[in-house]
Amino acid sequence: MTAGAPRAIGAILIVLAVAPSVLPPFFLQLLTEIAIVGLFATAFNLLMGFGGMVSFGHAAYFALGAYAAALLVKKAGVPMLLALPVAPLVAAAGALFFGFFIVRLTHTYFAMLSLAFAQIVFTVIFKWKSLTGGDDGLLDVWPPALLKSPRAYYYFTLIVVGLCLLALHAIISSPFGYALRAARESPRRARFIGVDVRRHQLIAFALSGLFSGVAGALFAFYNGSVFPDFAYFPKSFEPLVVALLGGVHSFFGPLAGALGFKILEWLISRQWPVYWPLFLGGIVVLVIVVLPQGFVGLLSGWRWRPRGTM
Amino acid sequence: MQVLSGLSVGMFLFLVSVGMSLIFGVTRIVNLAHGSFYMVGAYLMVTMVEILPDRPWSFWVALLVAPLGVALLGGVIEVGLLRLIYRRDPLMQLILTFGLILVIGTLVLIAWGPDNKSVSRPDVLAGSVRVFGQPFPSYYLLVLVLAPLVAVGLWLIFYRTRWGMLIRAATVDREMLGALGVDVAALYTQVFVFGSWLAGLGGALAAPTVAVAMGMDGDVLTTAFVVVVIGGLGSFAGSFVSALLVGLLQSFGILVFPSISIVLLFALMAVVLIVRPWGLFGRAEE
Repeated sequence: MTAGAPRAIGAILIVLAVAPSVLPPFFLQLLTEIAIVGLFATAFNLLMGFGGMVSFGHAAYFALGAYAAALLVKKAGVPMLLALPVAPLVAAAGALFFGFFIVRLTHTYFAMLSLAFAQIVFTVIFKWKSLTGGDDGLLDVWPPALLKSPRAYYYFTLIVVGLCLLALHAIISSPFGYALRAARESPRRARFIGVDVRRHQLIAFALSGLFSGVAGALFAFYNGSVFPDFAYFPKSFEPLVVALLGGVHSFFGPLAGALGFKILEWLISRQWPVYWPLFLGGIVVLVIVVLPQGFVGLLSGWRWRPRGTM
Repeated sequence: MQVLSGLSVGMFLFLVSVGMSLIFGVTRIVNLAHGSFYMVGAYLMVTMVEILPDRPWSFWVALLVAPLGVALLGGVIEVGLLRLIYRRDPLMQLILTFGLILVIGTLVLIAWGPDNKSVSRPDVLAGSVRVFGQPFPSYYLLVLVLAPLVAVGLWLIFYRTRWGMLIRAATVDREMLGALGVDVAALYTQVFVFGSWLAGLGGALAAPTVAVAMGMDGDVLTTAFVVVVIGGLGSFAGSFVSALLVGLLQSFGILVFPSISIVLLFALMAVVLIVRPWGLFGRAEE
């Protein structure tokens, strides 16, 4: 973090604190969504930016968090304020289980296996109608009356997301975070100095799943309902694009990316809701093909080429 | 009985996954849009059957044309997009093909609408035959015959033609092949087009057996991926064996545990990945 950062954060916090007095409720909802997506992308970026591991299936952990929260409230009658901290543990457990297999692989295989596991989660949610409601999702997942107004939920989300970001920042700044980066730069050298690479990667994967689950649970109560789409692969694409847009080597990059992404999504899907995935995919394809330097610059710290090629 | 239906499922999977594996073997790109090609093949089949006059030969013409349409699409994508990024970070290539899933999926939605479509089986194969005293849909016999023919054709291409030799050479060492004066860029395009054609053929053949619908792309991609991982990315024999294995596992799994047969698949894949991370027939990365 640079010296000016605390001041900038302070300014942003003041703006966010007074925003509800100035902005109409719609924009408060947009800001709430930005905060949730920002947390999701930051959790994802713990793996991608700092661990050098690209997951194509993070929707699974978002959905596990969302569905766990919804099921706890709807089927087990747990109060929302208790469901919110418990649900991410379900996501973390899922990430720990899948991650056990995923972190054994590298590069392309890693990405593909994470995608495959996310498809299983999607299939299970989709097919297990008696528990998850299948295609119809689970409705009426609202927070208690106290938090129901857009304004109250906005502040609540900001606080939860803020605490999670502090925790993520602490993780990245810890010796664990540095070992993770060492494993990204050179797994072999990291092993030489005694870092258990696979274990660090697995822990990072579970932590990333945990905070993705927080984002999912927050979104469930914000949305008032959960749907199988939460686990579908376009959702996995979201944190990836957000992190890439904002920059993967900076802690705050995904947050900036979330701001740009959600505003873009709002502008486009307001006009043409059906075409949003087309734009999302199209933008990514264009940026990768037409602006190679734009992305390579961000990814310069990577060692990702397969041996003996290129 | 269950063996036969498992084998025919395996044959569909083989057609799709061998294309994916072939493309990876030569270009080192994992084409995540491969399931989308399959879906486009099925939708093109719907359209071809609709626009052609209702004659006995229409189905076969459609079956010929639809995969060619997908091959054309693959060619456009390879020349227009992928060619520009072969030297880039493999992650970028993955993200690009991931983006293509969204683009193709939305375009299919716009072109064909959100309703499920179906293709009726040709009259000759509309009924069922008795196999071991039990009825078996005769359309699946077509698949059981056609896919092994494709497999034999592929084997002949790979091991008995110059082009196949170049493909095998490219999977082993691409620079060396280029250094020997082979136009590797053209080879990439040909392989990509060929792989897309196989995906399109799989989709077109599958169209009369399933509801042609949005979301087929993801389902097929997942299963094809399991097949390719179990068999080993880039391995031809691996795709064949593991497609049959997965097909059988799926059709028996549905009998035993109807709702979780997909979980069985992934369990198998997880076991393979732990024991032999590079697949049953693949080569180790390091």
